[in-house]
Amino acid sequence: MKNSHNANAQAAPAAGSGKGGVNFRTVRALLRKNGQERRSMFRAGQFDFFGFLLRILLIAAIVALFVMFFGRFVDVYVSIKINDKTDVMARSTELLTILYSAVILGMVIGGVGQIGRELFAADDMKILSAMPINAKTLFLAKLISIYRGQLVIALVSVFTINVTFALKVGVTLVFWALTLIICFLLPLITILISAVLVLPFQAIKRFLRERFVLTFILVTAILGVSFWLYSIIVGGVKQLLLGDSLRYFFNARVMKSIRIACSWLYPARWFANIISGSDPIWSWLELAAVAIVCILLAMLVIKRILVRSMQARNQGSSASILKTSYVMDKRNKFVALLKKEFLMIFRTPSYMFSYFSVAVIMPLMVYFCMDVGASLVENLVGLDSSLELALFLTILFGALTNIFCATNISRDGEMFYSVKALPLDFRTVFFSKIVLCLIVTAFSQVASAVLLFATGIVGAVDALFLVFVGLLFSFVNIAVATRYDFNHAHFSSEDDGEIKESSGTVSKVIFMGMLLSFAVGGLVLILKIFAQLRQFAYGALTYILAGGLAVISAGLATLYLLLGLKKKYYEFSGGGI
Amino acid sequence: MMHCNRCGGILQENAEFCPHCGNAVAPIAACPNYVNPYVAFMGYGMAPQVTIQYNGDPAEQTGYERYPGHEEVVSIKGLWKRYSRKADWAVSNVSFTCYEGEIVGLLGHNGAGKSTTLKCLEGMLPFDKGEIKIAGYDIQKDGEKAKAHMGFVTDNHATFVKMTGLQYINFMADVYEVPSKVRVKRLAELERVFQLGHPIENLISSYSHGMRQKICMMGSLIHQPKLWILDEPMTGLDPRTMHAVQEFMHQYVAQGNSIIFSSHALNTVAKLCDRVVLIRKGQQVDELNVKEIYAANPNFDFEEYFLRNEKQS
Repeated sequence: MKNSHNANAQAAPAAGSGKGGVNFRTVRALLRKNGQERRSMFRAGQFDFFGFLLRILLIAAIVALFVMFFGRFVDVYVSIKINDKTDVMARSTELLTILYSAVILGMVIGGVGQIGRELFAADDMKILSAMPINAKTLFLAKLISIYRGQLVIALVSVFTINVTFALKVGVTLVFWALTLIICFLLPLITILISAVLVLPFQAIKRFLRERFVLTFILVTAILGVSFWLYSIIVGGVKQLLLGDSLRYFFNARVMKSIRIACSWLYPARWFANIISGSDPIWSWLELAAVAIVCILLAMLVIKRILVRSMQARNQGSSASILKTSYVMDKRNKFVALLKKEFLMIFRTPSYMFSYFSVAVIMPLMVYFCMDVGASLVENLVGLDSSLELALFLTILFGALTNIFCATNISRDGEMFYSVKALPLDFRTVFFSKIVLCLIVTAFSQVASAVLLFATGIVGAVDALFLVFVGLLFSFVNIAVATRYDFNHAHFSSEDDGEIKESSGTVSKVIFMGMLLSFAVGGLVLILKIFAQLRQFAYGALTYILAGGLAVISAGLATLYLLLGLKKKYYEFSGGGI
Repeated sequence: MMHCNRCGGILQENAEFCPHCGNAVAPIAACPNYVNPYVAFMGYGMAPQVTIQYNGDPAEQTGYERYPGHEEVVSIKGLWKRYSRKADWAVSNVSFTCYEGEIVGLLGHNGAGKSTTLKCLEGMLPFDKGEIKIAGYDIQKDGEKAKAHMGFVTDNHATFVKMTGLQYINFMADVYEVPSKVRVKRLAELERVFQLGHPIENLISSYSHGMRQKICMMGSLIHQPKLWILDEPMTGLDPRTMHAVQEFMHQYVAQGNSIIFSSHALNTVAKLCDRVVLIRKGQQVDELNVKEIYAANPNFDFEEYFLRNEKQS
């Protein structure tokens, strides 16, 4: 009996051991499980066809825009002469290196997040970590599963880049064969790099877990710096398109800098070398070496830390936040709900990032885009359309900030039921959510207007008008998103109730926000240009149109929010759990 | 000879109430083969003549002790609930009353309809037919007023996990409009019972199952509700806390409050409840006066009764 028990224990090493080789039969079983879980999303009644279609359309629109603009840029870039000579192969390699670097960076960041989620937050890990599956098998199965997802991203992004490139530069059949190989190889390398980076990232996350203020400052700073860098690039593009001085932008000094930078952009450089045919053999060898090093490092990671980290997750946290005094001040119900809503967002890093940090950065986004856009329009059309453009950007970025409201109800999870059992009027429950969102959006809108006014882009009256219209359209976004989420609520099954995957509701809210911004901002902008061309008096049409549409939209949104809300609230038994 | 289906006592011909326990009896018309499980279990033989009819005010028909001077805290009349039009009734025609100073237990197997009944009572779920009143307020018409008189603990112990325990209790106190000084005093009292200790300052997301349960209970009691509703309250509690909670429940009802709770734990029910409502497949199949049953038969075994009832059904 004892021997048989030992034999079983040897045959089935527990996840905690981390010993033993990879069991490919188990890997296959785990992948099958993953596949079945993914397919379940497409079951009738659960599949959100409209949301799916919207996502596809959004991706298609981004790809089309990229092909259009990048195609023109390729033309310009490959024809640059250095010492009166063009070098298509060298320019192509540089361009591909930069673009592949961007793709790799995005995929590594995505990969780190995905691996972290799969290993430390996925529901099934609680069960799998207690099953007789060794850590290497588990890790491999998870990596393959993530690889499948990244392969789709690689196919879309690499093919988009290479197709655009092929349209401008003559290519052979080998180019397409190599493109296909790179599509399969690129996610492999990015996943291996992500696997090595995931544990330091998790360590930082654990350190920041309950340091909410520090997290907020860090995340906002990173976002701010990223946007500042982005604005520099966009500013450069603007100068490239407009300024005379930029006719000579790609001078010898700039080209030398690009060449040096590209020579250090590994591993993108190797992929670019392979596809453009410059030094392909060395590039293959170097890629293989990097892959091997990453595999070894990933193995070390599993052996040293993975198992302990998984067990630590099951154990839960024992960290204590700073001591709170036992003073229990009384607030009214509305303020209590408002505080609760704030804490729920502020203490969930992903929510904090997608709402508070984005809201803080939004004025900068508007300012940078305004800075680039206003002069661009002025130079192209010869028209001062600062107010119209500012309106467009304010509504657009306001909508992007308020995407978060698409989870206003769902993120309460099971607690939404419990709140129903509290002596609270349904209006108090809903308005507390909407008012918090309005406070956040008001901060963003006012800060944007102040920044635009302070930098002289718009006048005082226009700044006030921007706040008025921006707030009304933000209210439209918030009210519609909240009601739509209430009608289609889906609660998370996670312990902490955190929603980790965006739903169809999110894509619909993005779509609506963009539609509004293009409809209103685009309309006034086009009308102003049309008026200029036809030379008729434009007058205060922007104020009338945008202001009128904002008031009408806000009225309709209020109706949508309130119509049948009481009945639906008391009858609510949704949430998908 | 006819026997009472509750205490087994001999009934006189055409009697409307049992002279021993006051149970309401009526001739059975629908089912001539009905075997009352309790009567069968107690060895009184077949008793196809009697059953309980639950139409109308159950308190009037069952003839239970009226708790003279005590008011009705909860009254459920003819509750019907189904989750969708195509689905079966999750709860059908459930009626019972809970008086001041009383502990009522809802007993049934998994999926019997206990939690659904409680969720309807708490106002979390809408229902199709029937009436629920808490402290005289209709849960559908005067929801806010009705809810102000109750505290509840759900079976999943849902809380706002990004709050600390203290913040959560303060939030509940705000919602129930408890004055500042009172809430500090009550928190100290509750801490003595539940002994959550220092973790009350930690985020709820770091709590264990049992700790979450404790914080839910503390939050639900901060306003000292007239009615305390608990769904599976003892699951996951350590023995010491379980004992403390049971003691607390007795003390709480002694102050004139009432408790309704659901449970699988038959011995807990027997130990705590004044009355038990037995629910099976959404239907109320029996309502037992625990004290009277024990008075009539001190060796009465609830677990065996429940199992036999299940088997015979």
